[in-house]
Amino acid sequence: MYSPLQRIREHQQAFLGQLDTHAFSPSAVEKILAYGAPVGAALEHHTQLNRCMDRLQQLIQEKEQQGRVLAAGTVVLADVLTDSSGRFDRAWYAPEGGVWLAMAWPDILLPEFTRLLPFAVGAACCRAVRQCGVDARLKWVNDVLVAGKKLAGILCTTLQSSGGDRYHLLGVGINGNNQVFPMEFQTSATSLRSELSQEIDLAELTGCLLAELRWSLGLLHYDEEQALAEGGSCEQGRASLLLALWQELCDTVGQRVEYGFNIQQKPLYRAVAREIDPCGGLVMELEDRSRVTEYSGEIVYL
Amino acid sequence: MSSNSSNQEIHFDKILGQYRSDPYNYVDMHTVHTGTVRFLIEEGAEVEGASGEWMHKPGTRLYEINRERNAKIITSKTNGTISSVCSELDGQFVEAGEKLLTIRHPLKKKEIIEGILQEVLFLFEAPERARYYFSMDIQSRIDQKGARAVFIQPGDEIITMSLMKRDTPVYYTGEPGIIHSVYFTPGDSIDQGQPLIGVCAEDKLPVVQKVITRVKAEWE
Repeated sequence: MYSPLQRIREHQQAFLGQLDTHAFSPSAVEKILAYGAPVGAALEHHTQLNRCMDRLQQLIQEKEQQGRVLAAGTVVLADVLTDSSGRFDRAWYAPEGGVWLAMAWPDILLPEFTRLLPFAVGAACCRAVRQCGVDARLKWVNDVLVAGKKLAGILCTTLQSSGGDRYHLLGVGINGNNQVFPMEFQTSATSLRSELSQEIDLAELTGCLLAELRWSLGLLHYDEEQALAEGGSCEQGRASLLLALWQELCDTVGQRVEYGFNIQQKPLYRAVAREIDPCGGLVMELEDRSRVTEYSGEIVYL
Repeated sequence: MSSNSSNQEIHFDKILGQYRSDPYNYVDMHTVHTGTVRFLIEEGAEVEGASGEWMHKPGTRLYEINRERNAKIITSKTNGTISSVCSELDGQFVEAGEKLLTIRHPLKKKEIIEGILQEVLFLFEAPERARYYFSMDIQSRIDQKGARAVFIQPGDEIITMSLMKRDTPVYYTGEPGIIHSVYFTPGDSIDQGQPLIGVCAEDKLPVVQKVITRVKAEWE
């Protein structure tokens, strides 16, 4: 009898062999997978948690008290989250049937590439759910939507432990087999089961997600290595390999959007999304044809 | 983060005298990267900074820099007069960081007060170009009592930096004191190195207030 974690690991291993790596040479693929290898180095599963990120913080503290550090790529999974939240403390509904996880990643990238971490996680999540058969797309920066409805959400925060180590906590929530949403999300959220009219194997989906996270995070580190070797930066117009992967999945360019730092609380302006600049900024055209580039905040499609 | 003279004696007369004799800020413009430069303005020209509700209307075009057939127009970020142009560089290939021109920006009373305060206060600067907001604890203390009643010390989590939907707590690293000046509106986009807050040691607060009162009273 396999445990849930063994099944996830088996699927993760199997999906590594199916990754879409066509744009890269075998030696590059090897390097990318090596950079991403820590993903899922330790897996911890709970039937219920308040928040996966809280548990990761607790693990970081516990390790520090033992004079050690938490292994890079440690993943905490829960079947149900009772106190989950998104950015700006927005409610995130995480009942049984979804994939709810958070991973700790050490702060070792240069700032130019650290700022692309949310893109990497969004790309991995989008690629994973697309393998289930849905036409999922990314909305800048990393909302995973199917026909305008939110299928998955990403939450990225950075924390500094009391001992001074910095970690990125990368949270992913995918609506899998859960089909019932609270009233406020009924028109804006969807799940894989609702879209596909069939039950999803959650261990398989989680294994696939971990394999994709290994690829996209590995690619981000490989991207940094290449940039250092070439001597270019995004400010100088260098095209990021990770952003190229992300752009294949994103449908934001060309959309009429409303922008705000906190769009639900204070929408700021309406514009047409024109392009993604080499640093990941969203270039928008206002009514008077002038352009604004944003590196933070969020949009909704109009 | 920049340190300054807040724990030293403040020579008002000297500082005010400097502003009286030369009430301008001189903004040097340097090349943003390597490339061939072509000036679009002359010495003595009046220039305007960016404008519009979102600062989306670019300022006066200053120069064009062309690298590998990618031409970039650089515009003025501030208003003023072009006080000098390194015209010998026109049409030349230059390295990144080369000084090209200087804009003489006339200071308003408010800017002079800010200028003096920024010499006196400890300025806590933005670590990256990003959007910033106060941590929940600091914001609730500001809401209750006002920023100037909020005491902070090194290690306090004071601000959250938001960049590409990733939130990072920013810990204070300056000298202990009260938040005297706030240079950003929560949610604003701030360039790297720009001050976020100015912190004043509690015992220096009366001195700082005196600076403001005196400039307001004496400056036309």
